[in-house]
Amino acid sequence: MAVYESDLPGVGKKFEVDLDDESRLVVVIHNTGKRELFIRPDPDADSEKLFELSDKLARQVGTIMEGAYFQPIKTDDIETVLSEESLIEWVKVPAESPVAGETLEDAGIREETGASVVAIQRDGETITNPGPDTTLMPEDTLVAVGSREEHDELESFVAGE
Amino acid sequence: MAATPLVEVGALFAAVAVGGAVATRVGQSVIPFYVLAGVLVGPDVLGRVGAPHVAPGDVITVLAELGIVFLLFFLGLEFSIDRLLASRDRITAAGTIDLVINFPVGVAVGLVLGWSAVEALFLGGIVYISSSAVITKSLIDLGWIANDESDPMLGTLVFEDLVIAVYLTVMSAAVLGGGDSSAVAVDLAVATGFLLALFAVARYGTGLVERLVDGDTQELQLLRAVALTVLVGGIALEIGVSEAVAAFFVGMAVGSTEHSDDVEHLLMPVRDLFAAVFFFWIGLETNLAAMAATAGIVAVLVVLTTPTKLVSGYLGGRRYGLDGRRSFRVGAGMVTRGEFSLVIATLAASGATPILRETIPSLAVGYVLVMSVLGTTLMTYSDVVWRRIGGA
Repeated sequence: MAVYESDLPGVGKKFEVDLDDESRLVVVIHNTGKRELFIRPDPDADSEKLFELSDKLARQVGTIMEGAYFQPIKTDDIETVLSEESLIEWVKVPAESPVAGETLEDAGIREETGASVVAIQRDGETITNPGPDTTLMPEDTLVAVGSREEHDELESFVAGE
Repeated sequence: MAATPLVEVGALFAAVAVGGAVATRVGQSVIPFYVLAGVLVGPDVLGRVGAPHVAPGDVITVLAELGIVFLLFFLGLEFSIDRLLASRDRITAAGTIDLVINFPVGVAVGLVLGWSAVEALFLGGIVYISSSAVITKSLIDLGWIANDESDPMLGTLVFEDLVIAVYLTVMSAAVLGGGDSSAVAVDLAVATGFLLALFAVARYGTGLVERLVDGDTQELQLLRAVALTVLVGGIALEIGVSEAVAAFFVGMAVGSTEHSDDVEHLLMPVRDLFAAVFFFWIGLETNLAAMAATAGIVAVLVVLTTPTKLVSGYLGGRRYGLDGRRSFRVGAGMVTRGEFSLVIATLAASGATPILRETIPSLAVGYVLVMSVLGTTLMTYSDVVWRRIGGA
Protein backbone atom coordinates (compact mmCIF):
# COMPACT_ATOMS: atom_id res chain seq x y z
CA MET A 1 0.00 0.00 0.00
CA ALA A 2 1.44 3.34 -0.99
CA VAL A 3 0.54 6.62 0.66
CA TYR A 4 1.52 9.82 -1.14
CA GLU A 5 1.79 12.99 0.87
CA SER A 6 1.96 16.48 -0.58
CA ASP A 7 1.83 20.01 0.72
CA LEU A 8 -0.96 22.34 -0.28
CA PRO A 9 0.42 25.81 0.44
CA GLY A 10 -2.22 27.93 2.11
CA VAL A 11 -4.60 25.00 2.39
CA GLY A 12 -3.02 22.14 4.29
CA LYS A 13 -1.86 18.69 3.30
CA LYS A 14 -3.02 16.06 0.85
CA PHE A 15 -2.70 12.32 1.33
CA GLU A 16 -3.40 9.86 -1.46
CA VAL A 17 -3.87 6.18 -0.71
CA ASP A 18 -3.85 3.51 -3.41
CA LEU A 19 -6.81 1.22 -2.99
CA ASP A 20 -6.87 -2.37 -4.16
CA ASP A 21 -8.34 -1.60 -7.55
CA GLU A 22 -7.32 1.29 -9.81
CA SER A 23 -8.91 3.86 -7.53
CA ARG A 24 -7.33 6.18 -5.07
CA LEU A 25 -8.58 7.63 -1.82
CA VAL A 26 -7.63 11.29 -1.41
CA VAL A 27 -7.70 12.92 2.02
CA VAL A 28 -7.26 16.68 2.21
CA ILE A 29 -6.51 17.98 5.69
CA HIS A 30 -7.13 21.70 5.85
CA ASN A 31 -5.15 23.97 8.14
CA THR A 32 -8.48 24.81 9.73
CA GLY A 33 -8.78 21.17 10.82
CA LYS A 34 -11.45 20.28 8.29
CA ARG A 35 -10.95 16.91 6.53
CA GLU A 36 -12.25 16.31 3.04
CA LEU A 37 -12.39 12.83 1.53
CA PHE A 38 -12.39 12.22 -2.19
CA ILE A 39 -12.29 9.13 -4.35
CA ARG A 40 -10.60 9.04 -7.74
CA PRO A 41 -11.94 6.05 -9.67
CA ASP A 42 -8.99 5.92 -12.07
CA PRO A 43 -5.87 8.03 -12.71
CA ASP A 44 -7.49 10.10 -15.46
CA ALA A 45 -10.74 10.78 -13.66
CA ASP A 46 -11.57 13.78 -11.53
CA SER A 47 -11.73 13.34 -7.80
CA GLU A 48 -15.26 12.98 -6.49
CA LYS A 49 -15.91 14.38 -3.08
CA LEU A 50 -17.28 11.81 -0.68
CA PHE A 51 -17.78 13.87 2.46
CA GLU A 52 -16.14 16.27 4.83
CA LEU A 53 -15.65 16.13 8.57
CA SER A 54 -14.75 18.63 11.24
CA ASP A 55 -11.48 18.16 13.10
CA LYS A 56 -13.21 16.65 16.14
CA LEU A 57 -15.46 14.36 14.15
CA ALA A 58 -12.56 13.20 11.98
CA ARG A 59 -10.59 12.17 15.07
CA GLN A 60 -13.56 10.22 16.41
CA VAL A 61 -14.16 8.48 13.11
CA GLY A 62 -10.41 7.84 12.84
CA THR A 63 -10.35 6.15 16.23
CA ILE A 64 -13.26 3.95 15.24
CA MET A 65 -11.52 3.05 11.97
CA GLU A 66 -8.36 2.25 13.88
CA GLY A 67 -10.28 -0.29 15.91
CA ALA A 68 -9.81 1.32 19.29
CA TYR A 69 -13.41 0.64 20.23
CA PHE A 70 -13.91 -2.67 18.51
CA GLN A 71 -11.34 -5.02 17.08
CA PRO A 72 -12.88 -7.46 14.59
CA ILE A 73 -9.66 -9.47 14.45
CA LYS A 74 -8.73 -11.31 17.63
CA THR A 75 -6.29 -9.20 19.58
CA ASP A 76 -6.16 -7.73 23.04
CA ASP A 77 -4.54 -4.40 22.41
CA ILE A 78 -4.03 -1.68 19.91
CA GLU A 79 -1.43 -2.95 17.54
CA THR A 80 0.00 -2.30 14.16
CA VAL A 81 0.80 -5.28 12.01
CA LEU A 82 4.08 -4.98 10.15
CA SER A 83 4.10 -8.44 8.65
CA GLU A 84 2.70 -11.88 9.38
CA GLU A 85 5.04 -12.43 12.30
CA SER A 86 5.84 -8.99 13.64
CA LEU A 87 3.73 -6.21 15.00
CA ILE A 88 4.03 -3.07 17.05
CA GLU A 89 2.26 -2.89 20.40
CA TRP A 90 1.97 -0.30 23.13
CA VAL A 91 2.51 -1.61 26.65
CA LYS A 92 2.00 0.41 29.80
CA VAL A 93 4.47 0.05 32.69
CA PRO A 94 2.33 -0.30 35.85
CA ALA A 95 3.30 1.79 38.91
CA GLU A 96 4.28 -1.32 40.89
CA SER A 97 6.14 -2.93 37.97
CA PRO A 98 9.40 -4.68 38.89
CA VAL A 99 11.15 -3.08 35.90
CA ALA A 100 10.23 0.48 36.94
CA GLY A 101 13.40 2.26 37.99
CA GLU A 102 15.66 -0.14 36.12
CA THR A 103 17.51 0.64 32.93
CA LEU A 104 16.56 -1.19 29.77
CA GLU A 105 19.81 -3.15 30.02
CA ASP A 106 19.27 -4.21 33.63
CA ALA A 107 15.65 -5.11 33.03
CA GLY A 108 16.78 -7.34 30.17
CA ILE A 109 13.50 -7.04 28.32
CA ARG A 110 14.77 -8.34 25.00
CA GLU A 111 16.57 -11.28 26.59
CA GLU A 112 13.57 -12.23 28.70
CA THR A 113 10.76 -11.70 26.22
CA GLY A 114 12.23 -11.42 22.73
CA ALA A 115 10.39 -8.13 22.07
CA SER A 116 12.42 -4.97 21.32
CA VAL A 117 11.50 -1.60 22.81
CA VAL A 118 11.80 0.92 19.97
CA ALA A 119 10.35 3.95 21.75
CA ILE A 120 9.12 5.09 25.14
CA GLN A 121 6.23 7.49 25.57
CA ARG A 122 6.49 9.51 28.75
CA ASP A 123 4.38 12.54 29.78
CA GLY A 124 3.29 13.23 26.22
CA GLU A 125 6.86 13.03 24.90
CA THR A 126 8.37 10.24 22.89
CA ILE A 127 11.88 8.91 23.41
CA THR A 128 12.79 7.20 20.17
CA ASN A 129 15.47 4.51 20.00
CA PRO A 130 16.05 4.38 23.77
CA GLY A 131 19.58 3.24 24.61
CA PRO A 132 20.44 0.42 27.07
CA ASP A 133 21.05 3.04 29.79
CA THR A 134 17.53 4.51 29.49
CA THR A 135 15.72 4.18 32.82
CA LEU A 136 12.15 2.91 32.77
CA MET A 137 9.68 4.90 34.83
CA PRO A 138 6.28 3.96 36.23
CA GLU A 139 3.46 4.98 33.85
CA ASP A 140 5.78 4.82 30.80
CA THR A 141 4.29 3.41 27.65
CA LEU A 142 6.67 1.09 25.83
CA VAL A 143 6.40 0.85 22.08
CA ALA A 144 7.72 -2.58 21.18
CA VAL A 145 8.24 -4.71 18.08
CA GLY A 146 7.92 -8.45 18.20
CA SER A 147 5.78 -11.46 17.46
CA ARG A 148 2.42 -12.00 19.12
CA GLU A 149 3.94 -14.47 21.62
CA GLU A 150 6.78 -12.09 22.43
CA HIS A 151 4.29 -9.34 23.13
CA ASP A 152 2.36 -11.62 25.48
CA GLU A 153 5.64 -12.36 27.27
CA LEU A 154 6.45 -8.66 27.45
CA GLU A 155 3.10 -7.77 28.93
CA SER A 156 3.32 -10.29 31.76
CA PHE A 157 7.01 -9.50 32.31
CA VAL A 158 6.36 -5.78 32.74
CA ALA A 159 3.39 -6.51 34.99
CA GLY A 160 5.65 -8.71 37.12
CA GLU A 161 3.62 -11.85 36.60
CA MET B 1 -24.59 64.18 7.78
CA ALA B 2 -21.46 63.95 9.88
CA ALA B 3 -21.40 60.36 11.00
CA THR B 4 -19.26 59.19 13.88
CA PRO B 5 -16.40 56.87 12.91
CA LEU B 6 -18.15 54.01 14.68
CA VAL B 7 -21.21 54.34 12.48
CA GLU B 8 -19.01 54.49 9.40
CA VAL B 9 -17.11 51.37 10.38
CA GLY B 10 -20.39 49.64 11.14
CA ALA B 11 -21.76 50.65 7.75
CA LEU B 12 -18.53 49.40 6.17
CA PHE B 13 -18.91 45.95 7.63
CA ALA B 14 -22.60 45.83 6.81
CA ALA B 15 -21.75 46.65 3.20
CA VAL B 16 -19.02 44.00 2.87
CA ALA B 17 -21.26 41.45 4.61
CA VAL B 18 -23.98 42.10 2.02
CA GLY B 19 -21.39 42.05 -0.78
CA GLY B 20 -20.05 38.73 0.44
CA ALA B 21 -23.55 37.26 0.67
CA VAL B 22 -24.31 38.33 -2.91
CA ALA B 23 -21.00 36.91 -4.14
CA THR B 24 -21.72 33.54 -2.57
CA ARG B 25 -25.23 33.54 -3.99
CA VAL B 26 -24.02 34.06 -7.56
CA GLY B 27 -21.06 31.70 -7.13
CA GLN B 28 -18.34 34.29 -7.50
CA SER B 29 -15.33 35.18 -5.41
CA VAL B 30 -15.93 37.73 -2.67
CA ILE B 31 -13.09 40.11 -3.53
CA PRO B 32 -14.72 41.96 -6.46
CA PHE B 33 -17.91 42.24 -4.44
CA TYR B 34 -16.13 43.79 -1.47
CA VAL B 35 -14.60 46.32 -3.87
CA LEU B 36 -17.99 47.02 -5.45
CA ALA B 37 -19.51 47.45 -1.99
CA GLY B 38 -16.92 50.14 -1.34
CA VAL B 39 -17.70 51.87 -4.62
CA LEU B 40 -21.45 51.77 -3.96
CA VAL B 41 -21.53 53.14 -0.41
CA GLY B 42 -18.71 55.59 -1.10
CA PRO B 43 -18.83 59.26 -2.08
CA ASP B 44 -18.98 58.50 -5.79
CA VAL B 45 -22.34 56.69 -5.79
CA LEU B 46 -24.32 57.12 -2.56
CA GLY B 47 -22.53 60.41 -1.89
CA ARG B 48 -23.36 61.75 -5.32
CA VAL B 49 -27.08 61.25 -4.85
CA GLY B 50 -26.90 63.01 -1.50
CA ALA B 51 -27.55 59.93 0.62
CA PRO B 52 -25.61 59.15 3.81
CA HIS B 53 -22.40 57.49 2.74
CA VAL B 54 -19.06 56.29 4.03
CA ALA B 55 -16.37 58.89 3.50
CA PRO B 56 -12.74 57.93 3.01
CA GLY B 57 -10.87 58.85 6.15
CA ASP B 58 -7.98 58.04 8.44
CA VAL B 59 -9.80 55.36 10.40
CA ILE B 60 -10.71 53.24 7.42
CA THR B 61 -7.32 53.83 5.81
CA VAL B 62 -5.53 52.46 8.89
CA LEU B 63 -7.84 49.44 9.01
CA ALA B 64 -7.16 48.84 5.31
CA GLU B 65 -3.40 49.04 5.91
CA LEU B 66 -3.82 46.38 8.57
CA GLY B 67 -5.50 44.34 5.83
CA ILE B 68 -2.41 44.63 3.60
CA VAL B 69 -0.14 43.74 6.52
CA PHE B 70 -2.09 40.63 7.45
CA LEU B 71 -2.53 39.49 3.84
CA LEU B 72 1.21 39.54 3.38
CA PHE B 73 1.86 38.14 6.86
CA PHE B 74 -0.12 35.06 5.88
CA LEU B 75 1.71 34.84 2.59
CA GLY B 76 4.93 34.63 4.58
CA LEU B 77 3.47 32.29 7.18
CA GLU B 78 2.46 29.77 4.56
CA PHE B 79 5.52 30.31 2.46
CA SER B 80 8.11 27.67 3.08
CA ILE B 81 11.59 27.78 1.64
CA ASP B 82 11.89 24.08 2.35
CA ARG B 83 8.80 23.43 0.28
CA LEU B 84 10.17 25.54 -2.53
CA LEU B 85 13.46 23.65 -2.40
CA ALA B 86 11.78 20.25 -2.13
CA SER B 87 10.30 20.45 -5.62
CA ARG B 88 12.40 23.33 -6.91
CA ASP B 89 12.87 21.96 -10.39
CA ARG B 90 9.20 21.80 -11.29
CA ILE B 91 8.17 24.87 -9.30
CA THR B 92 11.00 26.90 -10.76
CA ALA B 93 10.23 25.74 -14.30
CA ALA B 94 6.51 26.49 -14.05
CA GLY B 95 7.14 29.70 -12.10
CA THR B 96 9.70 30.99 -14.57
CA ILE B 97 7.41 30.30 -17.53
CA ASP B 98 4.67 32.20 -15.70
CA LEU B 99 7.00 35.13 -15.00
CA VAL B 100 8.59 35.52 -18.44
CA ILE B 101 5.30 35.20 -20.31
CA ASN B 102 3.09 37.44 -18.18
CA PHE B 103 5.25 40.13 -16.63
CA PRO B 104 6.65 41.59 -19.91
CA VAL B 105 3.15 41.97 -21.38
CA GLY B 106 2.19 44.54 -18.75
CA VAL B 107 5.50 46.34 -19.06
CA ALA B 108 5.16 46.44 -22.85
CA VAL B 109 1.63 47.86 -22.67
CA GLY B 110 2.87 50.55 -20.29
CA LEU B 111 5.76 51.48 -22.55
CA VAL B 112 3.52 51.56 -25.64
CA LEU B 113 1.28 53.99 -23.74
CA GLY B 114 4.33 56.20 -23.37
CA TRP B 115 4.77 55.66 -19.63
CA SER B 116 8.04 55.82 -17.75
CA ALA B 117 9.94 52.64 -16.90
CA VAL B 118 8.77 52.67 -13.26
CA GLU B 119 5.14 53.15 -14.29
CA ALA B 120 5.40 50.35 -16.84
CA LEU B 121 7.00 48.05 -14.25
CA PHE B 122 4.01 48.62 -11.99
CA LEU B 123 1.68 47.52 -14.77
CA GLY B 124 3.89 44.47 -15.28
CA GLY B 125 3.49 43.48 -11.65
CA ILE B 126 -0.27 44.03 -11.64
CA VAL B 127 -0.89 41.76 -14.63
CA TYR B 128 1.70 39.21 -13.53
CA ILE B 129 0.50 38.25 -10.08
CA SER B 130 -2.39 35.80 -9.83
CA SER B 131 -4.71 35.85 -6.85
CA SER B 132 -3.70 33.29 -4.22
CA ALA B 133 -6.84 33.93 -2.19
CA VAL B 134 -9.37 33.51 -5.00
CA ILE B 135 -7.58 30.64 -6.74
CA THR B 136 -7.09 28.63 -3.56
CA LYS B 137 -10.72 29.18 -2.60
CA SER B 138 -11.89 28.09 -6.06
CA LEU B 139 -9.65 25.00 -5.95
CA ILE B 140 -11.41 23.94 -2.76
CA ASP B 141 -14.90 24.85 -4.01
CA LEU B 142 -14.48 22.92 -7.28
CA GLY B 143 -12.82 19.95 -5.59
CA TRP B 144 -9.73 20.33 -7.82
CA ILE B 145 -7.69 20.44 -4.63
CA ALA B 146 -7.69 16.64 -4.66
CA ASN B 147 -6.59 16.50 -8.31
CA ASP B 148 -3.14 16.68 -9.82
CA GLU B 149 -3.69 20.15 -11.29
CA SER B 150 -3.59 21.67 -7.82
CA ASP B 151 0.15 20.99 -7.54
CA PRO B 152 1.39 23.23 -10.38
CA MET B 153 -1.15 25.92 -9.44
CA LEU B 154 -0.14 26.11 -5.79
CA GLY B 155 3.52 25.69 -6.72
CA THR B 156 3.37 28.58 -9.15
CA LEU B 157 1.58 30.71 -6.56
CA VAL B 158 4.42 30.05 -4.11
CA PHE B 159 6.92 31.11 -6.75
CA GLU B 160 4.91 34.27 -7.44
CA ASP B 161 4.86 35.05 -3.71
CA LEU B 162 8.63 35.05 -3.61
CA VAL B 163 8.89 37.20 -6.74
CA ILE B 164 6.37 39.67 -5.37
CA ALA B 165 8.29 40.06 -2.10
CA VAL B 166 11.42 41.03 -4.03
CA TYR B 167 9.40 43.12 -6.48
CA LEU B 168 7.63 45.11 -3.75
CA THR B 169 10.98 45.81 -2.11
CA VAL B 170 12.42 47.28 -5.27
CA MET B 171 9.29 49.16 -6.30
CA SER B 172 8.68 50.66 -2.86
CA ALA B 173 12.23 51.98 -2.84
CA ALA B 174 11.49 53.48 -6.25
CA VAL B 175 8.32 55.34 -5.18
CA LEU B 176 8.57 55.86 -1.43
CA GLY B 177 12.04 57.38 -1.78
CA GLY B 178 12.98 60.62 -3.45
CA GLY B 179 13.00 61.37 -7.14
CA ASP B 180 16.54 61.15 -8.49
CA SER B 181 18.38 57.90 -9.04
CA SER B 182 21.02 58.40 -6.32
CA ALA B 183 18.25 58.84 -3.71
CA VAL B 184 16.62 55.69 -5.03
CA ALA B 185 19.92 53.86 -4.64
CA VAL B 186 20.25 54.99 -1.01
CA ASP B 187 16.65 54.07 -0.25
CA LEU B 188 17.13 50.73 -1.92
CA ALA B 189 20.21 50.16 0.24
CA VAL B 190 18.33 51.06 3.43
CA ALA B 191 15.39 48.90 2.42
CA THR B 192 17.66 46.02 1.52
CA GLY B 193 19.54 46.33 4.82
CA PHE B 194 16.32 46.35 6.84
CA LEU B 195 14.93 43.40 4.94
CA LEU B 196 18.17 41.45 5.15
CA ALA B 197 18.06 41.95 8.91
CA LEU B 198 14.45 40.73 8.96
CA PHE B 199 15.40 37.81 6.75
CA ALA B 200 18.29 36.90 9.05
CA VAL B 201 15.92 36.90 12.01
CA ALA B 202 13.42 34.82 10.03
CA ARG B 203 16.07 32.29 9.05
CA TYR B 204 18.33 32.10 12.08
CA GLY B 205 16.49 33.79 14.93
CA THR B 206 13.76 31.21 15.35
CA GLY B 207 14.42 31.01 19.10
CA LEU B 208 13.94 34.74 19.52
CA VAL B 209 10.76 34.85 17.46
CA GLU B 210 9.56 31.80 19.34
CA ARG B 211 9.82 33.66 22.65
CA LEU B 212 8.25 36.79 21.18
CA VAL B 213 5.05 35.05 20.11
CA ASP B 214 4.90 32.57 22.98
CA GLY B 215 1.95 33.75 25.04
CA ASP B 216 0.61 31.76 27.97
CA THR B 217 -2.95 32.01 26.79
CA GLN B 218 -4.54 32.28 23.36
CA GLU B 219 -5.37 35.88 24.14
CA LEU B 220 -1.77 36.79 24.91
CA GLN B 221 -0.50 34.88 21.91
CA LEU B 222 -2.93 36.71 19.64
CA LEU B 223 -1.88 40.06 21.05
CA ARG B 224 1.81 39.27 20.75
CA ALA B 225 1.53 38.11 17.15
CA VAL B 226 -0.54 41.14 16.14
CA ALA B 227 1.81 43.50 17.98
CA LEU B 228 4.90 42.01 16.36
CA THR B 229 3.44 42.05 12.86
CA VAL B 230 1.93 45.51 12.95
CA LEU B 231 4.86 47.10 14.76
CA VAL B 232 7.46 45.74 12.34
CA GLY B 233 5.23 46.73 9.41
CA GLY B 234 4.83 50.22 10.84
CA ILE B 235 8.53 50.68 11.49
CA ALA B 236 9.24 49.51 7.94
CA LEU B 237 6.89 52.15 6.56
CA GLU B 238 8.52 54.82 8.78
CA ILE B 239 11.90 54.20 7.21
CA GLY B 240 10.54 53.94 3.69
CA VAL B 241 10.27 50.19 3.30
CA SER B 242 7.08 48.50 2.12
CA GLU B 243 5.06 47.42 5.17
CA ALA B 244 3.79 44.54 3.05
CA VAL B 245 7.25 43.06 2.50
CA ALA B 246 8.14 43.52 6.17
CA ALA B 247 4.97 41.67 7.14
CA PHE B 248 5.88 38.93 4.67
CA PHE B 249 9.17 38.36 6.49
CA VAL B 250 7.54 38.46 9.91
CA GLY B 251 5.14 35.81 8.64
CA MET B 252 8.05 33.73 7.42
CA ALA B 253 9.79 34.07 10.78
CA VAL B 254 6.70 33.03 12.73
CA GLY B 255 6.07 30.23 10.24
CA SER B 256 9.33 28.55 11.19
CA THR B 257 8.50 28.48 14.90
CA GLU B 258 6.48 25.78 16.56
CA HIS B 259 3.69 28.30 17.17
CA SER B 260 3.05 28.50 13.44
CA ASP B 261 -0.21 26.55 13.50
CA ASP B 262 -1.57 28.28 16.60
CA VAL B 263 -0.84 31.72 15.22
CA GLU B 264 -2.39 30.75 11.90
CA HIS B 265 -5.62 29.70 13.60
CA LEU B 266 -5.71 32.76 15.80
CA LEU B 267 -4.95 35.29 13.08
CA MET B 268 -7.02 33.89 10.23
CA PRO B 269 -10.19 35.69 11.34
CA VAL B 270 -8.13 38.84 11.91
CA ARG B 271 -6.81 38.66 8.37
CA ASP B 272 -10.25 38.01 6.89
CA LEU B 273 -11.66 40.96 8.80
CA PHE B 274 -9.05 43.51 7.76
CA ALA B 275 -8.56 42.13 4.24
CA ALA B 276 -12.28 42.76 3.69
CA VAL B 277 -11.75 46.35 4.85
CA PHE B 278 -8.81 46.66 2.46
CA PHE B 279 -10.89 45.63 -0.56
CA PHE B 280 -13.73 47.86 0.58
CA TRP B 281 -11.31 50.76 1.00
CA ILE B 282 -10.03 50.18 -2.54
CA GLY B 283 -13.60 50.60 -3.77
CA LEU B 284 -14.12 53.62 -1.56
CA GLU B 285 -11.04 55.34 -3.00
CA THR B 286 -12.02 54.52 -6.55
CA ASN B 287 -12.95 57.46 -8.68
CA LEU B 288 -15.55 56.23 -11.15
CA ALA B 289 -14.70 58.88 -13.72
CA ALA B 290 -11.02 57.91 -13.60
CA MET B 291 -12.01 54.26 -13.81
CA ALA B 292 -14.14 54.92 -16.87
CA ALA B 293 -11.24 56.82 -18.43
CA THR B 294 -9.03 53.73 -18.11
CA ALA B 295 -11.63 51.33 -19.54
CA GLY B 296 -9.79 51.18 -22.86
CA ILE B 297 -6.50 50.15 -21.27
CA VAL B 298 -8.32 47.61 -19.09
CA ALA B 299 -9.97 46.12 -22.18
CA VAL B 300 -6.59 45.79 -23.91
CA LEU B 301 -5.06 44.21 -20.80
CA VAL B 302 -7.92 41.74 -20.44
CA VAL B 303 -7.60 40.69 -24.07
CA LEU B 304 -3.82 40.33 -23.85
CA THR B 305 -3.30 38.88 -20.38
CA THR B 306 -6.05 36.28 -20.30
CA PRO B 307 -4.42 34.22 -23.08
CA THR B 308 -0.93 34.70 -21.61
CA LYS B 309 -1.97 33.12 -18.30
CA LEU B 310 -3.78 30.35 -20.20
CA VAL B 311 -0.60 29.63 -22.14
CA SER B 312 1.83 29.92 -19.23
CA GLY B 313 -0.42 27.81 -17.01
CA TYR B 314 -0.82 25.22 -19.74
CA LEU B 315 2.95 24.99 -20.25
CA GLY B 316 3.48 24.85 -16.49
CA GLY B 317 0.98 22.01 -16.20
CA ARG B 318 2.79 20.17 -18.98
CA ARG B 319 6.06 20.53 -17.04
CA TYR B 320 4.31 18.76 -14.16
CA GLY B 321 3.50 15.92 -16.54
CA LEU B 322 -0.23 16.61 -16.73
CA ASP B 323 -2.37 15.86 -19.77
CA GLY B 324 -3.81 18.59 -21.98
CA ARG B 325 -7.14 18.94 -20.24
CA ARG B 326 -5.62 19.31 -16.79
CA SER B 327 -2.91 21.63 -18.06
CA PHE B 328 -5.60 23.84 -19.55
CA ARG B 329 -7.28 23.88 -16.15
CA VAL B 330 -4.05 25.15 -14.63
CA GLY B 331 -4.07 27.99 -17.14
CA ALA B 332 -7.74 28.78 -16.56
CA GLY B 333 -7.13 28.79 -12.84
CA MET B 334 -4.23 31.21 -12.98
CA VAL B 335 -6.21 33.85 -14.91
CA THR B 336 -7.69 35.32 -11.73
CA ARG B 337 -5.94 38.46 -10.49
CA GLY B 338 -6.89 39.88 -7.14
CA GLU B 339 -5.50 41.05 -3.85
CA PHE B 340 -1.84 41.45 -4.75
CA SER B 341 -2.55 43.42 -7.90
CA LEU B 342 -4.46 45.81 -5.64
CA VAL B 343 -1.62 45.88 -3.09
CA ILE B 344 0.76 46.83 -5.93
CA ALA B 345 -1.68 49.50 -7.12
CA THR B 346 -1.85 50.89 -3.57
CA LEU B 347 1.91 51.18 -3.56
CA ALA B 348 1.83 52.90 -6.95
CA ALA B 349 -0.70 55.40 -5.58
CA SER B 350 1.94 56.71 -3.19
CA GLY B 351 4.06 57.74 -6.18
CA ALA B 352 4.56 61.22 -7.56
CA THR B 353 3.30 61.17 -11.14
CA PRO B 354 -0.39 61.43 -12.16
CA ILE B 355 -0.15 58.02 -13.84
CA LEU B 356 1.04 56.43 -10.59
CA ARG B 357 -1.42 58.33 -8.40
CA GLU B 358 -4.56 58.13 -10.53
CA THR B 359 -4.34 56.02 -13.67
CA ILE B 360 -2.73 52.86 -12.29
CA PRO B 361 -4.94 52.50 -9.19
CA SER B 362 -8.10 53.15 -11.22
CA LEU B 363 -7.21 50.72 -13.96
CA ALA B 364 -6.09 48.12 -11.41
CA VAL B 365 -9.54 48.17 -9.81
CA GLY B 366 -11.27 47.72 -13.16
CA TYR B 367 -8.78 45.06 -14.19
CA VAL B 368 -9.14 43.07 -10.96
CA LEU B 369 -12.95 43.29 -11.12
CA VAL B 370 -12.96 41.84 -14.64
CA MET B 371 -10.19 39.28 -14.12
CA SER B 372 -11.50 37.88 -10.84
CA VAL B 373 -14.96 37.30 -12.27
CA LEU B 374 -13.57 36.07 -15.61
CA GLY B 375 -11.05 33.77 -13.91
CA THR B 376 -13.58 32.20 -11.57
CA THR B 377 -15.97 31.65 -14.46
CA LEU B 378 -13.25 30.20 -16.68
CA MET B 379 -12.38 27.69 -13.98
CA THR B 380 -15.97 26.55 -13.71
CA TYR B 381 -16.28 26.06 -17.48
CA SER B 382 -12.69 25.03 -18.24
CA ASP B 383 -13.63 21.59 -19.54
CA VAL B 384 -16.28 23.06 -21.83
CA VAL B 385 -13.82 25.64 -23.17
CA TRP B 386 -11.15 22.99 -23.57
CA ARG B 387 -13.45 20.84 -25.73
CA ARG B 388 -14.60 23.91 -27.68
CA ILE B 389 -11.04 24.81 -28.67
CA GLY B 390 -10.58 21.26 -29.89
CA GLY B 391 -8.68 19.71 -27.01
CA ALA B 392 -8.74 15.97 -26.61
